[in-house]
Amino acid sequence: MTIWSRVRSWVRVTVFRSRAENEMDTELRFHVETYAEDLIRRGVPEEEAQRRARVEFGGIQNTKENCRDARGANIVESFFQDLRYAARSMRRSPGFAAVAVIALALGIGANAAVFSVVNAVLLRPLAYKDSERLVTILHRGSDPVAVANYFDWRDESRSFETMAAADFWTPNLTGSDPPEHLWGLLVTQNTFPMLGVQPLMGRWFAVGEDLKGAEHEVILSARLWKRRFNSDPSILGKTITLNGEAYTMVGIMPPEFKFAPFWATHAELWAPNALGDPGQTRDGNHLRIFARLKHGVTLAQSQAEISAITARLEKQYPGTNREVRVTSLREKVVGKIETPLLVFLGAVGFVLLIACANVAHMLLARSAARQKEIAVRTALGAGRMRLVRQFLTENLLLSTIGGAAGLLLAVWGTRALVALSPADIPRLDSVTIDARVVLFLIGISVLTSVFFGLAPAMHASAVNLSDTLKESGRGTSEGMRRNRFRNFLVASEFALALMLLIGAGLMIRSFSALQSVDAGFNPHNVLSMIVSVGGSKEAAPGHRAIFYQQLLDRVRTIPGVESAGGINHLPLIGDMWGWPFRIEGQPKSLPGESPSGVYRIVTPGYFQTMRLPLLRGRDITTDDNAGAPGIVIINARAASRYWPGEDAVGKRVSFANDKNKNPIWLTVIGIAADAKQGDWIGKPYPEVYLAAFQNHDFIDSPESHFAYITLVVRAAGDPGPLASVIKENVWSFDRNLPVSQMVTMDGVIADANAESRFEMLLLGMFAVVALALAAVGIYGVMSYSVTRRTHEIGIRVSLGASRINILMLVVKQGMILALIGSSVGIAGALLLSRLMTKLLYGVRPNDPITFATVTVILMIVAFVASYIPARRAMRVDPMVALRHE
Amino acid sequence: MDKQVELMQGTLDMLILKAVSLGALHGYGVLLRIQQISGGRLEIQQGSLYPALHRLEHQGWITSEWGESENKRRAKFYRLTAAGKRRYHAEAEKWNRMAGVIAGILRTTPEEV
Repeated sequence: MTIWSRVRSWVRVTVFRSRAENEMDTELRFHVETYAEDLIRRGVPEEEAQRRARVEFGGIQNTKENCRDARGANIVESFFQDLRYAARSMRRSPGFAAVAVIALALGIGANAAVFSVVNAVLLRPLAYKDSERLVTILHRGSDPVAVANYFDWRDESRSFETMAAADFWTPNLTGSDPPEHLWGLLVTQNTFPMLGVQPLMGRWFAVGEDLKGAEHEVILSARLWKRRFNSDPSILGKTITLNGEAYTMVGIMPPEFKFAPFWATHAELWAPNALGDPGQTRDGNHLRIFARLKHGVTLAQSQAEISAITARLEKQYPGTNREVRVTSLREKVVGKIETPLLVFLGAVGFVLLIACANVAHMLLARSAARQKEIAVRTALGAGRMRLVRQFLTENLLLSTIGGAAGLLLAVWGTRALVALSPADIPRLDSVTIDARVVLFLIGISVLTSVFFGLAPAMHASAVNLSDTLKESGRGTSEGMRRNRFRNFLVASEFALALMLLIGAGLMIRSFSALQSVDAGFNPHNVLSMIVSVGGSKEAAPGHRAIFYQQLLDRVRTIPGVESAGGINHLPLIGDMWGWPFRIEGQPKSLPGESPSGVYRIVTPGYFQTMRLPLLRGRDITTDDNAGAPGIVIINARAASRYWPGEDAVGKRVSFANDKNKNPIWLTVIGIAADAKQGDWIGKPYPEVYLAAFQNHDFIDSPESHFAYITLVVRAAGDPGPLASVIKENVWSFDRNLPVSQMVTMDGVIADANAESRFEMLLLGMFAVVALALAAVGIYGVMSYSVTRRTHEIGIRVSLGASRINILMLVVKQGMILALIGSSVGIAGALLLSRLMTKLLYGVRPNDPITFATVTVILMIVAFVASYIPARRAMRVDPMVALRHE
Repeated sequence: MDKQVELMQGTLDMLILKAVSLGALHGYGVLLRIQQISGGRLEIQQGSLYPALHRLEHQGWITSEWGESENKRRAKFYRLTAAGKRRYHAEAEKWNRMAGVIAGILRTTPEEV
């Protein structure tokens, strides 16, 4: 109630100000006049009565002012007064205002842009119902799971409301032009209810629809629906042809829906996963398990339960159920990107601090120039707090304009960030400037104004009246305190800039280390693409091998093509299946403990096209066909791991048994150099290359994960122009064959390093801005100091100081500040760079080369920035300087 | 006791609340009422009355409306609100307790210490 009455009375005196003023006038006049009448009635003469009434009442203006104060009317009034004054003083020095606003806009805008990314990627919850209860259950937190294990865990655990399984699925969409190799998932029926996202149209899969025979239904993403069906709502209930079979479309998901949020992020359609009978296989890990924790069950509790279950199962089925981890889905999605983003946020915060320090310099310099004005205002009765408020208002105006400009910059910067960033940063497509970003922006704008403005305002308002008014205001040496504060600002700028430069330097070193990593093959001028045959006539048993052979032969005749080959999964972007095998003469080992290798199936010409050198033995030839003895090529790592100290060539291994359960033996005919496999910086795993035309799965299996070939084509020059020619050649066999993932190997490698490049670019950009700001800072302080000390320098010169002495005097002052700042910066960088360890490759966070180089660069910048004003100091003519007073 | 005493700091608010608790008054009326009930022993700077009235109204203890005075002029009349009434009682009680304690202390003779 009293709050309400306060607001009411406050509104009355501020909004209806003139009415309130009138009323106050009437009220006070009534008092004085009535009193005068009373006096007259008591016999005082009229003139005397009126005089006495006025005198006894006291100062009427003073009373009015006190009344206004009592109602808080003056706070608003004086704020607007300050604002008008601030705008006027900004107009008077537009250069200062422009520079300050630009510096603040840069700092604030960059912060808001980075924050908008952090907000979208880290702060917003995943777009599923109660997403904080969603988890994944995977081997070592990342590796897929066997079907039988999924059934066991699902049936034995009590911690989870739902446990669902998803499998990668890449069907061919045919029957409409163009044919397309799609990315999708096979999911258990309970997946959609678990995620709790309602379809845009249609329905989820019903219970029982993931049983064998009933699984020919499909839910589409809005993207696929738009691309292939023009968002036609009547398609529900109709069928499409996937891998040559009819699937009924039962639902469309909303545009923002994405599943899975990691690993299969490009999935555009989902079909029921018919896992078949629970008694099936315990090896062949290919499922990703998703689950929803029951209310009140913690991650640790569910992990404890899963650990107990898997420990028991491992005893029962040795070699299985190892190292099963329950991980929160959020951690799984954003865990990797968290560190770099937080490093960026910290870095961009440093940039803002430096910008603040620079603006604070300028304000200090300005307030020195405004001392007279301040003294006059103080003499006229302005209190110190009133002056501080005045300055803070000016600063608020600056930072508000800076913040508004920063918002524009942020909108633009956010777009630039998203465009620059590597494709595999999760959830980047949802980056927007939302209410939280705007709040953040307003928050840092206000904080910024206090940060850069409070100290200068306190200093400025603390003027010594008589001194300032007496002195001319120039040529007097400055107060030590203000100097110390200015020096502190410059030193801090250097410390911050040094830390940023070290961060950027480490990223540059790390990136160049990544660039010098050897892929194992020669990626230049190699083009690759996937040709899928699933569901086509070429996929039929007996036809596929001939088709592959003819296709390769035809591609090799295209002008500009040097050589061509095929493989099941391309290094770096393709799948990296591990396949267990037996070594002849060694006992059969437990599942999970047998020798295994990354499973590649290659045609003749692959090694030659990739220029992947064979260290020993021979290459696969066209003679290694279905009728010839089985052969395999292994990589150097497999040779040293499984045949240490021996010659692997000539040894025999087996990946499968024939109908009579006898092993099918393959002879090792060659050893290839180690090439990059799954990721760019990983150590090589043992790897095996089987001959395509001897591999039953590759040339006969109808399964979608076998029914395609990845072509690799080496061109004489730039392979780009060949892309469409090769596509036409594929389609000259069959217009229904999807050709997808057309990429150059150079592009593949650039993508593998895209994240590191992005981190380097961003930190580098911040560091350059920081360095520029710090240089401007030290330059500003030095030239200001030279101007203030002109008189002193004049005296020194006239007393015999040489020009070199003067030069040294100024440069030394600047260099000492830079040195102090750098020392603090080095200490800070030693502490902070450890946080970057995860971002670095091939360089330690305390890399002495980086530290030394950066410090030297900073010293050079500091020298140049103080040398320029020092030269001016050197040219001071003592006569002019002394007379100038 | 002809000599006027100066008002102690912070007591003016309480006196105003007391004055208007007996009926709606304009500012001048408040002054007269206080002088009347104090028997003319209190000296109040006339001008200081108005900031206090505005402050009390701002805080919601009293409320005002325009009306006609005894001398047929437009005047602003102040009246106690419900919250002001509670406030006045609380203040008065506090004041009485305080006055009692201080009076007790001042009465104390050396023998009693």
